[in-house]
Amino acid sequence: MKQRLSATPIAYLFLAPALLLLAAFSFWPVFYGSYLSFTDFSLIRETHWVGLDNYRALFENAMFLTGLKNSLLFLLVVPFTQIGAISLALLVNHQLPGMRWFRAAYYVPVVTTVSVVGIMWGFMFHEQGTLNYVLLKLHLIAAPLGFLSDDVLALLAIMFVSFWRGLGWYMVMYLAALQSLPSEMQEAAILDGANRWQRFWRITVPMLYPTIMVCSIMSVLAALKAYQEVDVLTQGGPMNSTFTALYYAYDQGLKHLKLPRGLAASFVVSVCCIGIAFVCLKYLKPRHRE
Amino acid sequence: MRFFGKIGGSICKNQKKTGFYPTTSHVSRCSFSVFALVFLLMFSIATPVRANQKIEFWTMSLKPKFIPYFQQLVRDYEATHPGIQVEWVDFPWDILQLKLITAIAAGKPPALVNLSVPWAEEMARDGLLEPVDALLAALGQANDYTDAALADLRFRGRVYGFPHYSNVNVIAYNRQILAAAGIRQAPETMDQLLAQAVQIAAKTGKPGYAPALGKIDGFLMQQGLDLIRDGKAVFNSPAHVALIRKLAATYQANGFLKDKLFAEDNFPAVVDAYLGGRLGMMVSAPTALRRIQSDAPGIYAQTGIFTMPAGPTGINDGGWMFHFAIPKGVRQSDLPAIGEFARYLTGDKNQLAFARIAGVMPTTKQALANPYFRQLPQHAGASEQALAVAANSMNSARSLYVAGIDDYDELRRFLVQAVEAGVTGKRDIQLALDEAAAIWNRKLAKGQRR
Repeated sequence: MKQRLSATPIAYLFLAPALLLLAAFSFWPVFYGSYLSFTDFSLIRETHWVGLDNYRALFENAMFLTGLKNSLLFLLVVPFTQIGAISLALLVNHQLPGMRWFRAAYYVPVVTTVSVVGIMWGFMFHEQGTLNYVLLKLHLIAAPLGFLSDDVLALLAIMFVSFWRGLGWYMVMYLAALQSLPSEMQEAAILDGANRWQRFWRITVPMLYPTIMVCSIMSVLAALKAYQEVDVLTQGGPMNSTFTALYYAYDQGLKHLKLPRGLAASFVVSVCCIGIAFVCLKYLKPRHRE
Repeated sequence: MRFFGKIGGSICKNQKKTGFYPTTSHVSRCSFSVFALVFLLMFSIATPVRANQKIEFWTMSLKPKFIPYFQQLVRDYEATHPGIQVEWVDFPWDILQLKLITAIAAGKPPALVNLSVPWAEEMARDGLLEPVDALLAALGQANDYTDAALADLRFRGRVYGFPHYSNVNVIAYNRQILAAAGIRQAPETMDQLLAQAVQIAAKTGKPGYAPALGKIDGFLMQQGLDLIRDGKAVFNSPAHVALIRKLAATYQANGFLKDKLFAEDNFPAVVDAYLGGRLGMMVSAPTALRRIQSDAPGIYAQTGIFTMPAGPTGINDGGWMFHFAIPKGVRQSDLPAIGEFARYLTGDKNQLAFARIAGVMPTTKQALANPYFRQLPQHAGASEQALAVAANSMNSARSLYVAGIDDYDELRRFLVQAVEAGVTGKRDIQLALDEAAAIWNRKLAKGQRR
């Protein structure tokens, strides 16, 4: 006990550099930013406490409410991304010739910068672009679709880009989890006569549960925080249909220098993130850990 | 320590040779004199004349293309103005405003900053810019600029900057497409332009016109239709609805290029379509013609130029002026020198030189009267023709925007949303505009209460 007590300050001493950096570059901006969202802060005027005024203005603002609704709609990407990533991980978890190439290919979208993604998908979704060309050639459509100019399709198009960008990242996470699963249980199940589906559903999935939980939470948070794809593809249009809550925060805070309002919007997004992450933790937690 | 020991040793050796043994005060006096001499020599060689005033000016997204121009401009000024040190700083346009406000708040603003008119109006409203009427008058410069340029910069009766360059739209048309559509005459009104767009679509299957409907506010103002009157939104009036109906009819007849039609910036999409021979008429500033010339010589060769019809207001479309403003916080004693440099930067000679490199339009009367704009060479291409047409329109080119409204950009988005819904047929035009007007009025009422 005595030894443990004397070790504690030393442990904190070793943690101190990282904690100081975290405090300076994460905790302080979060706390100060949250405080500023309750003020009328401006670089050129005296700052006053305004209480909940910024939040009241946010919830009276149709653009922010559209953004919040769209951010919640963005959550629809999560199950598709997770199921897609698990399926891909299962596919590339075979020792076949050229498999490394496939793994790398699926990971390319993750390392591609968002500006390149914007240019590429902008071209793909263009009315004269690749996607419309292919669909027209296959006689699946009669006239080009406005993937980025139709207010219904535009949000779906952005969600698809988000799905495409996330797939490779989660695939790698699931692949690492799959490769760390002990093979003995699979072998025992084979001896017991379990078929492929039974082995996947009864052994692989339960053992992947911790990874599914982590990936789902990360994916939920990424979906709620979506704004880069919006910025490079539609800037909130058409008809403000692709505004997300965080894009609104960025638009107000950095483009129009309305910092308190942008910070209030970020604060609301953060609260949503924490709430939904809490729900995920509660319901996706592996049963044996309860 | 060993180094000082060696020096000390050599001094002692010399002392032994000369037989002169100095006291401590002798040594310190001697070393001080040597230091003072070296110091004076160094500075007399390095800087023949000491720079006693630094003028820092900021531009917006002009690097790297204009580095040689500005470097030469700075060198020339410094050579003729001993004692003045000029520093050029360029920022991307999207961070310039934030940088400027931060610099003003920190008490270290640049002497001059490149701004657009709406930004200047907003900053002048917040008391962040110096009016320059007195400087213009003192320099005898007030009559150098076009009336339109000075009118753009006059807010609440005072002028807030030195005009630098602007633009005005012309119609670049594809001769083959217009011939196939049977169009031979330039449109004289917006109605005619819309009718021609429909005619082109009907005869060739290609869109005729690509207006920037994301900037519908300027479009309506140019057509003489106010957005706000007596503190209330009036863009749902019968006249506004009638114009939007005409736009909707043109859209339904495929007269418009639909790609990015309602985007804040549809210019790249318009140029791409024109380059690819997919658009009959491209309404743009003469700058775009250079790109057509370099990227699609075939299309350029068959490009003709029309004058863009001025609206009922007599204002020409596409004016968007940039100027140099003096931020608040600059030392008052520095203002005469800053004014003189601004005069040099935005004078006839340099405006003309910049306009020639950048393909933009100058804002001084003399530069606009230069043969470069007025005398077409014998085999003038579309680019030269566009410059000549634009120079004629410059006196009535104004930057059109709604001034004095807090959160204007957000309100503008609701207007664009309503127009988009109406033009694309997703909503009834009157209802969509009524709804947007109600949002505007709620916001405007709040602003008035404050």
